[in-house]
Amino acid sequence: MKLTRREAVIGASIGAAAGVAGVGGRYFLRKRHAPSPYDDLLALLDDRDADAQIGETVLAEIEDFDPQATADDLRARLAHNTLSGLMAEDASEGRLVEAGGWILPETLGALCALAAKAAA
Amino acid sequence: MNLDGRVKPGHDGHWSGTTQVGMRRRRHIFDKTRRTAAANLPEACQNQLHFRKASVLGAFIDARNVPSGTVLQPDLAIVGGGPAGIAVAMALAATPIRVVILESGGMSFDAKTQALYEGSKVGAPYLTLEASRLRYLGGSSNHWGGWLRPMDEIDFEERSWLAYSGWPFGKPELDRYFARAHYLCEGGTLLYDHGEKWAVPAYGPKLALGEGGVATRWFQFSKMKGSTLPTHFGERYADELKRIGRLSVYLHANATRLGVDAAGTRIEEIDVATLTGRKFKVKPRAAVLAAGAVEAARLMLASNDVIPAGVGNAHDLVGRFFADHPTPRDVATLVVFDGKLTPFYAEAQAVHGAVMRAGLFPSPEFRRRSAAMASSVTIENKVELDDLGKAAAAATAAALGVGAGDAVAFSLGGGMEVTPDPDRRFTLDADRDALGMPKLRLHMRLADADFAQFRRTLKELGRQLLVSRTGLIRLNLKTRDEWLDSLDWGNHHMGTARMNADPRLGVVDANLQVYGMANFYVAGSAVFPTYGAANPTVNLLALALRLADHLKGVLR
Repeated sequence: MKLTRREAVIGASIGAAAGVAGVGGRYFLRKRHAPSPYDDLLALLDDRDADAQIGETVLAEIEDFDPQATADDLRARLAHNTLSGLMAEDASEGRLVEAGGWILPETLGALCALAAKAAA
Repeated sequence: MNLDGRVKPGHDGHWSGTTQVGMRRRRHIFDKTRRTAAANLPEACQNQLHFRKASVLGAFIDARNVPSGTVLQPDLAIVGGGPAGIAVAMALAATPIRVVILESGGMSFDAKTQALYEGSKVGAPYLTLEASRLRYLGGSSNHWGGWLRPMDEIDFEERSWLAYSGWPFGKPELDRYFARAHYLCEGGTLLYDHGEKWAVPAYGPKLALGEGGVATRWFQFSKMKGSTLPTHFGERYADELKRIGRLSVYLHANATRLGVDAAGTRIEEIDVATLTGRKFKVKPRAAVLAAGAVEAARLMLASNDVIPAGVGNAHDLVGRFFADHPTPRDVATLVVFDGKLTPFYAEAQAVHGAVMRAGLFPSPEFRRRSAAMASSVTIENKVELDDLGKAAAAATAAALGVGAGDAVAFSLGGGMEVTPDPDRRFTLDADRDALGMPKLRLHMRLADADFAQFRRTLKELGRQLLVSRTGLIRLNLKTRDEWLDSLDWGNHHMGTARMNADPRLGVVDANLQVYGMANFYVAGSAVFPTYGAANPTVNLLALALRLADHLKGVLR
């Protein structure tokens, strides 16, 4: 099928408009969270709301959780390693937490706990 | 033998008053007489004739037809026709040793006989005493699951962190008999942990675990020829037992008393009773008590006419240290990120002439390092995750840098060893059974420390899953109530006549001979001083075969 110039221009315009709407839509429709002191760390999580749910169960096991100290420690560790690297290191060295019975690397537990604090 | 059942002095056969040659000569005459006259005789006389014929065949004899007052004089009396008793008898088949097996039941389940097991229990939850064993030929092999696995070397070791641990010999001593025990169980090709080389390539990957304390190891299964059932020892070996010329198996024959001499140093006679009121005696040169860990304790404790504390109970150990394997359901939830798992974990599969299933076991190194008891974990059915589980799986996989789009969750089952506990014990009760024997009372105890130890092993499994980026687990049981609510049992009775090199710590010595008794032995898992996590049947069979070798020397 051969397109006329007019049809090609209209088609391209519609495509461009749809693309802009899609990107913008995702931007405008994404979940909003109140700003927290740990947003730089929480950006590492895929699903802050679900992870906050995990974090609640982590916090239930910890009596005196200090979010600021935890965040500082995480930042220091992440300065020299990736999240997946820290996760592997935690597992190797047995640094684990329980979250509603789930055995998780301490780093993930700490991030989830911060997500819970941020959502509170 | 007179018709009143009294036995005359003699030299051969299980019957002191009848020789095998004489029996054979008389047999056709007897049969002819029986055919022409038996139908016209009163029932009691018919029973006696039947009894005489059976004794001539030297095979299976219904003790309800044995005239009261009869005295049997075999070389060896085996009390109990379960796997241990049958194994000892079969191992002695080619010897001149005359053997009598006294089996309480018949060839099938009978409620009145089964009721002889009834007793009471106090303390921690446990099964009713008549529930987890069967009282007829073949014993509890009539309802076992057929799981086979040798105990581990560490199970035999004395461990500083485990009170009362240490067998009087190491695993190699039992290994000498293991293959024969395995084949008695019809376990197929002897593979166990070597089975992996056939199983995994054929069926897909085993669970990848990072370096650590838990590893995949293998069960095998008993598979009775011509059926899919595990081997039922009574049904399976009845014909072979009948072919043993010097063996008589007395069915419906309940041992009710171990009669010891005045000095209390040897078994002189065993009282036998039937539920129909017949009573007779066995006067063997030696006796093996192979009645299971519960009945062994009862018979030894109840035989207290000469030794007030009971036979073999000089140090108040008989009936103590009772153990079973708690098998908690849904002890953990396993998520496998890529959903791939060899089917050997979830179900037994046939491979290379064996039926095998994979389980997850703590390594000896981990057990030593963590002071952990033995345990096993099996992967059971698939389960759906709740929202928290889905979140945990997704977050963990993402943070580890792996996908979880195909993740599958499974429920895990467990089997765990318990700490030896002298206060988990049987005592005699005031109530009596239909034969007048005192019933037992179980004082059951379960230590929170045992649950905590198993939980640590499961946590180690979870750690290794994270190291390998394979998956993660949830520990489903935490509080004592949660553990108790989920508890099933292996129905593996152990420990009530424990073996130890020191008579102050054991009822039997390394040869399974009861301390202080010149001619009395105990076979079966009653003698296990510690329990491991392996299913006991094949291990107690190896021990029984070893005992048979010892008896060959003793009864020469």
